[in-house]
Amino acid sequence: METMALVVEGLTKSYGDVRALRGVDLEVRAGEIVGFLGPNGAGKTTTIRCLLDLIRPDSGSIRVFGIDPQADPVAVCQQVGYLPGELALEPNQTAAEILRYFSRLRGNRVDWAFVRTLAHRLELDLNLTIKNMSKGNKQKVAVVQALMARPPLLLLDEPTSGLDPLMQQEVYRLIKEAQAGGATVFFSSHIIAEVETIAERVAIIRQGVIVEEAEPEALVNIAVRRLRVRFQEPVEVQPLAAVPGVTILSQDDSVVTVQVAGEMDGLVKALAAYPVSDLETERPSLEEIFLSYYEATGDEQPQIEEAV
Amino acid sequence: MWAEFLYHLRRLRGRIIGWGIGIGLYGLMMAWFYDAVTGMGAELGALLASYPQEMLAFFGNVQLMNTPAGYLDTYYFSYMTMIVGILAASAAAGMVAGDEERGVLDLVLAHPISRTALFWARLLAVVAALALVLLISWLSWLPAIPWGMEITALELLRPFLPLLAVLLFIGTLALLLSLVLPSSRLAATLAAAAIVANFLLVGLANMNDDLQPVLDWTPLGYYQGGLAVNGLEWSWLLSLLGVSLLFALLAWLLFQRRDIRVGGERSWRMPRSGRRREAASET
Repeated sequence: METMALVVEGLTKSYGDVRALRGVDLEVRAGEIVGFLGPNGAGKTTTIRCLLDLIRPDSGSIRVFGIDPQADPVAVCQQVGYLPGELALEPNQTAAEILRYFSRLRGNRVDWAFVRTLAHRLELDLNLTIKNMSKGNKQKVAVVQALMARPPLLLLDEPTSGLDPLMQQEVYRLIKEAQAGGATVFFSSHIIAEVETIAERVAIIRQGVIVEEAEPEALVNIAVRRLRVRFQEPVEVQPLAAVPGVTILSQDDSVVTVQVAGEMDGLVKALAAYPVSDLETERPSLEEIFLSYYEATGDEQPQIEEAV
Repeated sequence: MWAEFLYHLRRLRGRIIGWGIGIGLYGLMMAWFYDAVTGMGAELGALLASYPQEMLAFFGNVQLMNTPAGYLDTYYFSYMTMIVGILAASAAAGMVAGDEERGVLDLVLAHPISRTALFWARLLAVVAALALVLLISWLSWLPAIPWGMEITALELLRPFLPLLAVLLFIGTLALLLSLVLPSSRLAATLAAAAIVANFLLVGLANMNDDLQPVLDWTPLGYYQGGLAVNGLEWSWLLSLLGVSLLFALLAWLLFQRRDIRVGGERSWRMPRSGRRREAASET
């Protein structure tokens, strides 16, 4: 049994003058869930599509369970359930027709009872025509087709795009169940909560290079956080500003908003000297995490685009 | 591959039915008129003699209109290459590049089917769709036999083979162009325009022998039309099929090497000269 599900080394890919991938190195162990983060245009989708031989890299090597996708793409695709980021389905067919077609492409090895179970859990009507479906329902069809063959590797490009929060939770459960069944999951996302919920490890790609691999908690911890502290009475905040990593953003009577970079320990200890009545923390957004990361590594700031 | 063939053929069923009914009704109508037209006898000869000689030359075998071969050629086979050619060009150009433009191909190729299997299965489905449309057309002409056309069903079938060969030529040309040009519609349009231009060239070459050498380099230069009722020109037929196969092989090679495009990735653009490239990089 291959212990590495994915091994990518020195992967480069250019579209004309644009260098989409500049040497991606990545390893995903069999059985783990890895989140793939990066701003738009960083190379997430290009990397995933190289893994499936949908696009051909200029250089570098890829192994999916030890198989080179360029040498044997069919063998790789037999191991993979793929959910594309740019989803397009045949508009005049029903979900059932499309799923049966994909099942036939897999040699009719799909358990149709499992398909119905997936559809039921996602509240998907298989008899609906694709053109009459909302974006969310189309996404459910894509989720079902990726999972229905119980593949050993799931490559999911923005798996919960367009789904409501309840359905997002159901998809997280399905992904966790797939992992419990032995599957490896490699997924891209813009949603930090999603990454924290299901990923065991995170790879960050920026301008075509993997710049960090870490656990999601570690990633969140390097980010700047904001705290709103309500004191029982107006206080002198200069001692707080002297704490390393703390910046006073505003003070309105007895409410003080501070920004903390790095560990919270110093601030918490400093606050112990004050009569605090309430404390609120704001979770950092993915963009803030990126910005913090790049500032921490002394890099120029990336052009973070609107999350898709 | 069989699953892909059936799936793609099912996707083409609307076009098979639509084109089959349209072409079939036309064939039935012209079969019905056969007896009336050929029954005109000397009147038809006088009518034709009244037309300008250039016009008669342009349409080729009009003088043979009172024979099965001439009638079929004039009223059907001479211009069916253009009409059904539109179907051939659009179906073939869309079979890979059309799906790619709509983003549908991405997910299909992420399943365990090789590009080779997908390509040839879909091309076979297009060929089968064209053959089915022609089969419906042949069936629609069959009543002409009891209505007075002195011809057997097999002889009536013969001219459909060169027609199918020309349609394959147009289709595979459109397919090849669709893998080179930025849009499948542009590829289909160019292939269809090429066959219309070729049709006009045939007419002009009938009027001017100097154009005959040019015609020899075009597919309709090797197309028998309705005259195939009297016997097939196998070398012509095989030449058309051979070039079609060559186009298909080239298209297959291009598809094998191709990056499957989706939104956000760079697509085809005109090659830029060194000076234009420098100017663009400065801006």
